[in-house]
Amino acid sequence: MTDATMTHAHSQEAPPRRALARQVLPYAMLSPAVLVTLAIVFFPMVQTAWMSLHDYVLFRPNVFEWVGLKNFRTALQDEVFWISLWHTVIWMCTTIPAQLLLGLVTALLLNQSFPWRPLARALIIIPWALPSVVIALMWVWIYDSNYGVANEFLLRLGLIQKAIPWLANPDTALASIILTLTWQGFPFFAVMILAGLQSIPRSYYEAASIDGASTWRQFWHITLPGISGVMVTAVLLRTIWVANSFDVIFVMTGGGPGYATYTLPLFAFVKARTNLDFGYGSAIAVLFTLLLMLVVVVYLKRTGKAVS
Amino acid sequence: MKLARTLGLASVLALSAGLAHADSTVRFWYHFDNADNPMDALIAAFEEANPGITVEAENVPWNSYYDQLYTAIIGGNAPDAAMVKAFAQPRLVEMGALAPIDDWLAGWDGTAALQDNLIDLVKGPDGTQYYLPVQYVVLYLYYRPDMFADLGLEVPTTCEAFREAAKALTRDTDGDGQTDVYGFGFRGAKGGHDHWASFVLGAEGVSLTEGLTSEAGVAGTQFVADLFQKDEVFPPSAPNDGFQEIIGAFKAGKTAMTIHHIGSANGMVEALGDNVSAAPVPDCGGGRWTAFGDESTAVLSNAEDPEAAWKWISFLSSAGNNAKFNEATGQLPVVKADSESWTLHPQRFVQATVDSLPFAQMLPNSSATADFVNTVWPTAMQRVLTGDITAEEMNAEIAKLYGG
Repeated sequence: MTDATMTHAHSQEAPPRRALARQVLPYAMLSPAVLVTLAIVFFPMVQTAWMSLHDYVLFRPNVFEWVGLKNFRTALQDEVFWISLWHTVIWMCTTIPAQLLLGLVTALLLNQSFPWRPLARALIIIPWALPSVVIALMWVWIYDSNYGVANEFLLRLGLIQKAIPWLANPDTALASIILTLTWQGFPFFAVMILAGLQSIPRSYYEAASIDGASTWRQFWHITLPGISGVMVTAVLLRTIWVANSFDVIFVMTGGGPGYATYTLPLFAFVKARTNLDFGYGSAIAVLFTLLLMLVVVVYLKRTGKAVS
Repeated sequence: MKLARTLGLASVLALSAGLAHADSTVRFWYHFDNADNPMDALIAAFEEANPGITVEAENVPWNSYYDQLYTAIIGGNAPDAAMVKAFAQPRLVEMGALAPIDDWLAGWDGTAALQDNLIDLVKGPDGTQYYLPVQYVVLYLYYRPDMFADLGLEVPTTCEAFREAAKALTRDTDGDGQTDVYGFGFRGAKGGHDHWASFVLGAEGVSLTEGLTSEAGVAGTQFVADLFQKDEVFPPSAPNDGFQEIIGAFKAGKTAMTIHHIGSANGMVEALGDNVSAAPVPDCGGGRWTAFGDESTAVLSNAEDPEAAWKWISFLSSAGNNAKFNEATGQLPVVKADSESWTLHPQRFVQATVDSLPFAQMLPNSSATADFVNTVWPTAMQRVLTGDITAEEMNAEIAKLYGG
């Protein structure tokens, strides 16, 4: 075989090898992330589902009995489960729209030209950047019935006659925490929507203006469609985050007074971490995950249609 | 060659000797509210007296102390020794997490130096000794003598007198239509079971394990509910108030009475001077009940070097060291010699503690007690205070927890 034929043979073999390498490369590059995700997300999820089918109380580590769906049946007959589910629905249905609305108004304001605009844009992010525990403690003091600034302010304005124990009264506790979380989460919407607003070409508004469209019609026909994609994604992300978040509730009231601020994630946490009943706690967590998945799927289907 | 072999052999011997005398590390968990934490000084003294043992002490926040401890035990990452309370002992024993200390106690000269009965009080549910006492307190009533004097009131010795005094003390002092002082600072959040118990468990035949659903038991809980709902002698935030809130409100003059132990005495005196004093809790329903607040240390069964862990915990309960430990926590030493020379607290608070000792009791030595303290009591009490359930329902829930 001459050198020339060998070279020719090599050049014929090379393309399939390159093609194979091209096929394998993406998997090779993705595998570390996939492995980490499997280890820290998927494995605990499977473990939680497995535990939910067992009687597993942490302070009796030698007892790990298969009980099938007993924990799920117990949860569905548990008054606290239904109280927590109702609070979770209120929690999600008020917090997310409130954050979205406030975020939208803020983004529209920040999209206008005014002096010190970059500073205002930077300051608005502070609630979002603060750790949840700091926010919770700060608002506990704001709501304090003895020294809180909220009561002081309302008393001086004459809006209330007597200091209100915002967090100790079951009628106001959940609403007070929702207000706190709205304040914490609205900058996320503001920043996302602001980014969406800046991607809408100015020429659209100019053309609409020449055609005599009012500000409201410009907002309805140009601004909203322009930011709808961003809003759908932001609402989806916040739905999942808000639904799962219980740190602020835990620090502010611990779920109290009574069960007045219990949500399903908090109930699962208290059962597992405080009562050490990991079997029952896992069953509540699994039920909540299924419910949340249902909400997300319905939301994506409906918004997918609306956006398209 | 011979030299190389000799050097090699010497190295192996040196290495083995090093391994045989390897340093031990004792991981110790504790909880101190006091920012002037003296643990470093105690560790330095211990390490100097016990070369080869290093102590790694971690101050774990109280609110999640037991959650973290149980989780660490199950996760196989438990400390070698830890501060522990009696209510947690049945659960820790059930988990097999504690190492028996009977043999060590028998051979330790500090055993006889401990206050009488303390060792027996914290004996395990199976009769084995796992806990070594390190400090103790007894809960009593804090009150404002100046406010009592202003209104010509006597310190209440019965629940009826307590109620009348609390009503009189609850008042608008500046005429703006707002209540400025409340009669009693009630702890409705986690940890407040001691307040409730002082009003309920004093009644004859009523305890957590029996008689709680009787007329007398329910009347006790109703008494607490009425103080809040009808008499309005607790601050409106009472259902959510924890340790910080009740102590803060008392120091600020927002409340005229509260229940806590000598651990708060120095802070109270710093804030109020002579305008704070203490007395035993009132007689309710024919008897008195107050909480004996214990704190012990224990060696955990997974300790890498249990002997070293024992040396450390016994060091903390030895004369002199125990005094230093309690100077930081503000509680009372368990060593007789340290108690006799104790000057940290003003006498009136020591006296209230001593006067309360005859009727001080601990919570039942049962696995249910942890759930009672952590979730069942706080939730049920808050629901009663906010009118969500009745006193009868609350007592029935607690009785059910204890198998009643």
